[in-house]
Amino acid sequence: MKKKVILILMVFMMIPLLQSFCGFYVSTGNSKIFNQASEVILVRDGNKNTITMNSDFKGDVKDFAIVIPVPTVLKENDIKVVKKDIFNKLNQYSEPRLVEYYDEHPCQPRVMYDEMVVTKSVAFNSSRAEQKKDKELGVTIEAKYTVGEYDILILSAKESAGLKTWLLQNDYKIPAKAEEVLEPYIKSKMNFFVVKVNLVEMKKLGRNELSPIQISFESEKFMLPIRLGMANANGPQDLIIYAFTKNGRVESTNYRTVKIPTDKNIPTFMRPKFQEFYKDLFTKQYKKYGKNAVFTEYAWDLSSHNYQKCDPCSTTPPSYAELKDAGVFFANYRTPQGWQGSDYEGNLFFTRLHVRYDRENFPMDLQFQETMDQQSFQGRYIMQHSVNVDMNTCTEGRRYYNDVLNRRENELETLANLTNWDIDNYEDYTNEIRTKLGYKTSKSEIKKGGFLFFSNGNTPDKTLPSLLLLSGLALISFFIYKRKMLFPKLAVIKNFLF
Amino acid sequence: MNTKAIELPKKYKLSLFHDTRHFQILFLGSFLVMVLFANDFPKEYLFQIGATISSCIVFQLLFTHFTTKNYNSWKSALITSLGLSLLLKVDVIYWVFLATFIAIGSKFLIKYNGKHIFNPANVGVVGTILISQHAWISPGQWGSNIIYLFVIGSLGFLVIKRVARIDIALAFIGTFGSLLFFRNILYLGWPIDFWVHQMTNGTLMLFTFFMITDPITTPNNQKARLIFAIILASIAFYLATFKHFYAAPVWVLLFMSPLTILFDMIWKDRKFSWQNSVSSNQKNK
Repeated sequence: MKKKVILILMVFMMIPLLQSFCGFYVSTGNSKIFNQASEVILVRDGNKNTITMNSDFKGDVKDFAIVIPVPTVLKENDIKVVKKDIFNKLNQYSEPRLVEYYDEHPCQPRVMYDEMVVTKSVAFNSSRAEQKKDKELGVTIEAKYTVGEYDILILSAKESAGLKTWLLQNDYKIPAKAEEVLEPYIKSKMNFFVVKVNLVEMKKLGRNELSPIQISFESEKFMLPIRLGMANANGPQDLIIYAFTKNGRVESTNYRTVKIPTDKNIPTFMRPKFQEFYKDLFTKQYKKYGKNAVFTEYAWDLSSHNYQKCDPCSTTPPSYAELKDAGVFFANYRTPQGWQGSDYEGNLFFTRLHVRYDRENFPMDLQFQETMDQQSFQGRYIMQHSVNVDMNTCTEGRRYYNDVLNRRENELETLANLTNWDIDNYEDYTNEIRTKLGYKTSKSEIKKGGFLFFSNGNTPDKTLPSLLLLSGLALISFFIYKRKMLFPKLAVIKNFLF
Repeated sequence: MNTKAIELPKKYKLSLFHDTRHFQILFLGSFLVMVLFANDFPKEYLFQIGATISSCIVFQLLFTHFTTKNYNSWKSALITSLGLSLLLKVDVIYWVFLATFIAIGSKFLIKYNGKHIFNPANVGVVGTILISQHAWISPGQWGSNIIYLFVIGSLGFLVIKRVARIDIALAFIGTFGSLLFFRNILYLGWPIDFWVHQMTNGTLMLFTFFMITDPITTPNNQKARLIFAIILASIAFYLATFKHFYAAPVWVLLFMSPLTILFDMIWKDRKFSWQNSVSSNQKNK
């Protein structure tokens, strides 16, 4: 008997757990959340690095060009062109997701999802390179390759003015501010990886969009040069970083790395608005952290021994072939073992970071480190659907709807807190339930104000809390100063304690 | 923590302001509270802080129970635990117990001439990273907000002025800052805000104004302290700039700590004691 009771208790305790772990992934269409973002895949083990850059350059491919500082002279087989699909795949796998639950109903799976991200690279106007006066300018062409549809030059330079002139002479349009940025790279003995499109090759290969470029090199530095890209950017740029390492989460060492708010219950009408919702949420966080933080949007242990590679999965986790495309050089093939077993072996950790940067708030290039943190993280937003209950026949109906009303009020508040949206526009969401319960459909029901620091309003106002804090401190100092007069017995307590 | 404090004559009237540790607690505590406000009181972090503070004090009281029985020392443990909460990152909360054990244990077990050798928070952080493989330092975790410079700077000044250790903090930050300035601004030619960003790093500020100024684990003599700080800053600069090892100051301090013994032998001076710190400073003047 006792055993049975324990068993039943255990089952009951399990239910909320189980509920909190499933939930259906909601597809919000095929468009991207962030339209103007660059995407980069970073792979690092020891001093070996592989960087893959995706450029969603919109415009005449003739005009496309990239200049990237690299620490070494890359060899031809260090440079590859990979399929664009890998970026879509990783984005789909790791993008902040919307999940839904149904009250008192088993979940009905739906699959969906959307994508973000586009690259805007440093676009110089390119034309045919002339190699006049290279020596006088101090510019040396260290290597010259044609890889895929790209013509690639690796330059070294002695001084920034020379490099700038060289680029201008070769008909690269170069922003006026670029010089200030070129110089530190030249002095750090970096080479420049200059890419433009070879139209003939592109036609031959039959490609109509530009492929991502993948470069591999050895360097102690685990960083991403973003400063050059800022020279000709107007306003902040979005950058999505997918990092693959062996031991744990990747974070920035010279900017704060913050996790995006997650596991929030949001109103059910959010489904078609999820992209706007996430964009506004991100913008709010970006401002809150002083416009110079790096945000973790996803982190997951993809090691072969970990069977749960996402939860809920928006798409299948990356396979061996996809990892190879992504440049994960340390992955080794094996035949898949067991249900959901991976077809690669060994340790692998995946991190997705999102940075919105501009010149003013990001004076340094991004530097990273691999931490020992293997905890999973995902940006996950929950919609809880209510069911229709007939209050005449169901005695629990009234209680149920009261709970739903409470829940919906909280969801609206969460929405307002996360995005600063004006929730007065969404009163119908709660009024619908109020009508059912026969309550007045007024706005005043929604709590506003809050207590002291814990503001419940749409936009937490920080003036009052700060004033209270300051006056509190002043009061405490006053008490300490006048303590002998105020508390004559203090000495007794003090002698006891100290 | 000075284990001989109990022998002091009672004539030093102990008031809230006579023990410098109160300032240190106030300084670190207010920084922690500020951080918590800025981050909406993250639950996991609150647990970590709670675990660190309570375990630190418990370990300290246990150790004192079997040694000096000077229970007054819980304040030092509180300072250590605040430092640990601010610097150490762990993936599973239990590792903070290892950190606090190493920190407090090192104070009682690794001693020379009545002074413990390692800064407790420092050895706690580095020891846990080396042993557990589940801990790390995030040099970027407090951001590079210029406001930190003022808040930590001014509060830190207040503290180290009381313990007369301002020299080591200024020597360190001066050397480190000017080396970075020469390298990055004058030589490489980065714009000035590059340097400002590096120097206002929250972790660096904490390290400067809290960690290396610990009066027990730094040389007693002023000249010795200045030399100590300059060596520390130079090595840290080398590692951070050329080896891309960004948490360098914290690690270098650990490996330089044993040198304090040598420095104390060469430059002899009076030993520091917490509870008469203010009075002795006044006497010096």
